[in-house]
Amino acid sequence: MPDRNKEAARPADWEARIGAIAAHQDRTAFAALFEYFAPRIKTYMQRSGVNDVRAEELAQETMLAVWRKAALFDPASANAATWIFAIARNLRIDAYRRERRGQIGETSDVALEFHADEAPQPDASLASAQSDRRVRAALAALSAEQVRVIELSFFEEKAHSEIAKILGIPLGTVKSRMRLAMKRLRTLLEEQS
Amino acid sequence: MSIEHHPDDLMLAGFAAGTLDHGQHVAIATHLAACPKCRDFVRVLEQTGGAMLSRLPPAPMSSTAFEHIQSRLTEPMSPAPIALSPASVSESEIPGLPEFVRRYRFGKWIWVAPSVHMRPILLPHPSDTRVFLLRSGSGTKMLEHSHSGVEMTCVLSGAFRHEGGRFGPGDFDFGDDTVDHQPVVDDGQECICLVAMQGELRLNGLVGRLIQPFLRL
Repeated sequence: MPDRNKEAARPADWEARIGAIAAHQDRTAFAALFEYFAPRIKTYMQRSGVNDVRAEELAQETMLAVWRKAALFDPASANAATWIFAIARNLRIDAYRRERRGQIGETSDVALEFHADEAPQPDASLASAQSDRRVRAALAALSAEQVRVIELSFFEEKAHSEIAKILGIPLGTVKSRMRLAMKRLRTLLEEQS
Repeated sequence: MSIEHHPDDLMLAGFAAGTLDHGQHVAIATHLAACPKCRDFVRVLEQTGGAMLSRLPPAPMSSTAFEHIQSRLTEPMSPAPIALSPASVSESEIPGLPEFVRRYRFGKWIWVAPSVHMRPILLPHPSDTRVFLLRSGSGTKMLEHSHSGVEMTCVLSGAFRHEGGRFGPGDFDFGDDTVDHQPVVDDGQECICLVAMQGELRLNGLVGRLIQPFLRL
């Protein structure tokens, strides 16, 4: 793949690659997504407590879902990394639930639980465009430090003592900083609506 | 009628990260179905999840991983069809219940106390948290109680009030072992809530203690 180096220089183009898969089943685009995201999804799975073999399987399943669901990706509502994260998270939840008592005769689709609001409504597309705008504006206004503390505590599930070490702040400050980040986020969303 | 009571920010973060217990996940999702504000909040948190994913150090995949997945790309393109079970409870029967919850299996309504009934929701996978609908007649005064675990309540229809305020459709209430409360249902309409309850309900006072053994909450 001669273009690989050139493409690696434009890492922000993941959205276009997902679009290429949706439009013409572009395998080169998929290969690039796989190369970047699969190993990171594997780390995410490992850190959530599954063994290496399972982490690899779940990373593969996530990428397969990226390929299959590419047509459902809407770059206006989430960037590629967020969309892929949500797929990985849902597969992780599903795997965890199944583990607790094998697979029983019913199928569940975790994604539905995160989109309980997507019942058809007359003004749905307008409402969702407004919501997209609010979400983007709020995220842009959060400081990098605030995003980081949310990331570490909830998505990487780090203990407060570890977060304190990583951010170089006193242990007692971690929780208050987390609360502040959340409060700021609420305020930002209020301002946008 | 606007929603006044929301889940704690940290619970919403747990929801976005996918780390909540199944039953609690259902209770939060039920609130989100009614609350655009909290939905936006969760969406921003999901974006930080995406940022986290990009920042994680890569763990090498096995050398055959890509070949293996390539061989599967010719399988049908459309999202894997999932045979969803049909809704077992209709929207008109329990208004405000998200569709994914209506697809779960439900037990029968069970009498709990005068003018109070509960109906278990049978999650497809086991959870430490029991989830059920609670239906209380208009004006019902619930027994004063506290909890040995965490209790999440989302109002579907009707309203109740306790020391924490008034809770109407979409409102979310949270109780744990530090909270003692005695909810009273508003006059004029019965109140239906979805409740996710961990641990046991503890009834305070002599009468409560006497009847507690008979309560299957």
